[in-house]
Amino acid sequence: MRLIVARCEVTYTGRLTAVLPEALRLLMLKADGSVMVHADTGGFKPQNWMTPPTVIEESDDHIVVRKFAGKTEDRLDIRIAEVISDVTHDMGEAAELEKDGVEKHLQEALADAPHWCGEGFRLVRREWPTDIGPVDLMCRDEDDGWIAVEIKRIGTIDAVEQLTRYLDRIRQDPAMNDVRGVLAAQVVKPQARVLAEARGIDWVEVDLAVVRGDREPDLTLFT
Amino acid sequence: MKLQTSSADLLAQVGAAARVASTRSAVQALSGVQVVAADGQAELRATDMEVGLRVPLPATVERDGSVVLPARLLLDVARVLPASDVSLELRPSEGDVEIVSGSARYHVRTLRGEDFPPFPEAGDGSVVRVPADAFVATVRKVERSASKDETRPILTGILVSASGSDLKMVATDSYRLSVKETKLESPLDGEFEANVPARALGELARLAEGADDAELTVARQENQVIFSVGGAVLASRLIDGQFPNYNQLLPDGYEHDLIVDSEEVRAVVRRMSLMAQKNAPLRLRFSEGELTVSAQTPDVGEASESLPVPFAGEAFEIGFNPEFLRDGLESVDSEQAKLRLISPLRPGLIEAADDSGFLYLIMPIRLNV
Repeated sequence: MRLIVARCEVTYTGRLTAVLPEALRLLMLKADGSVMVHADTGGFKPQNWMTPPTVIEESDDHIVVRKFAGKTEDRLDIRIAEVISDVTHDMGEAAELEKDGVEKHLQEALADAPHWCGEGFRLVRREWPTDIGPVDLMCRDEDDGWIAVEIKRIGTIDAVEQLTRYLDRIRQDPAMNDVRGVLAAQVVKPQARVLAEARGIDWVEVDLAVVRGDREPDLTLFT
Repeated sequence: MKLQTSSADLLAQVGAAARVASTRSAVQALSGVQVVAADGQAELRATDMEVGLRVPLPATVERDGSVVLPARLLLDVARVLPASDVSLELRPSEGDVEIVSGSARYHVRTLRGEDFPPFPEAGDGSVVRVPADAFVATVRKVERSASKDETRPILTGILVSASGSDLKMVATDSYRLSVKETKLESPLDGEFEANVPARALGELARLAEGADDAELTVARQENQVIFSVGGAVLASRLIDGQFPNYNQLLPDGYEHDLIVDSEEVRAVVRRMSLMAQKNAPLRLRFSEGELTVSAQTPDVGEASESLPVPFAGEAFEIGFNPEFLRDGLESVDSEQAKLRLISPLRPGLIEAADDSGFLYLIMPIRLNV
């Protein structure tokens, strides 16, 4: 990643022509060929940019970024009047964006506290294998009945369909032909609720912070 | 079907019916209003299969018949009619209804009449007459506590019980509980108990408020209830299942009993609530002779205000959902209210101090700091 703070004028030609008059700007040149021209205002969005693949040509007072767009050429012509800073950093391997509250975290939290999926549930195994893919949690209830739990961040009709397919496969085993299904999600969409109920599948909305014990559940008069 | 009516009557009655028509059913006819003209009289019907409404339409009927028209569109048309009179005529060959008012002429396509369900009849069951004012006032006291969460249908209803001279309604969403007992001036000619969807009772209250009738009638059937008031008939399915035993929820005793000026506390709570945003609680700090109400929302700001209250004992702070607390205080219409508290994690009770039979039990919110 190369970061140049420079007083420069930027001219774009291609589908249209646009000129950014000479001013102090941050030029960001990424290793993947992306080029962005930022000002200190205007929010996160660059004033001008070019997506990869690009060809970058550089001379003493010019950086030219070119990209073929069909039959035409997009061109960013950066005339540099003064360089304030020019640094290059090796960023190494890019770490993937990690989001809290995604299925993996929910699955871990619910595996530790399966009672949030249903009263008296205890975990038998995470990633219970079936021949069409693993079910997130396989639990047993107070009566030793089997429960397959599918965990999603957002419970949609697709999640109900997926759990239905798993249940069909699991029920082929005579020892587990009475397995029940539970869809656990932070939010279960109304259509998914209707479909789940129509298919005899229970659903439950779970609050990750509460399941993890980071936050106490809301106080209620009764449960 | 052909009828003449006034634009004002059409607007008023379509307005009432359209509120009941379904907005999300797969059956298109349920999003419509059925216009029925028979035996020289006209009426409008609408239902979403949970609540059904039949309202009379003062009209001159020229030809009997019935037709289902899109409720929303009919209401929009009724709102903008240019003349004081309007005529509606079914044109079977075109599959539409011609609406003419002044020089404005609409042709509105009809919905499938055969998909529109028949309206439930009251049958031979017992009918109880209830004073309309008392019934409406009781509904208005408790309806805010009914849950809007369809995942717990039992809590979306109001438990209505009427017997002798007592009319009682209870609603709870598990965070608060409203109980209103109304003493009737004379005993009822029957009794009933039912968990009626709060939405149906809200519509009934609206109809009764707009009618001159002193009484409304209630016909309780196995799984539905039919109310009549001001010529309108509202049918609602009843909610199955066991309503929470609210008597068990009321604590046996309280640590603090305070009589406060209802309006003063209401006004302070209303002012401070402005700074309790994004689920932030309203904090009530009780200390010797004083109540300080405060709220704080990160990145928004904070506010606090104190008022004198007859509190004695060790100071403590309790948090409430500002909306729920406001609802409770606003439902108390006596000059003074009784606040009954135990501790920061136990429910608090708001009562009308004039023994008018209103209770509002509210669960606090945990305060982290």
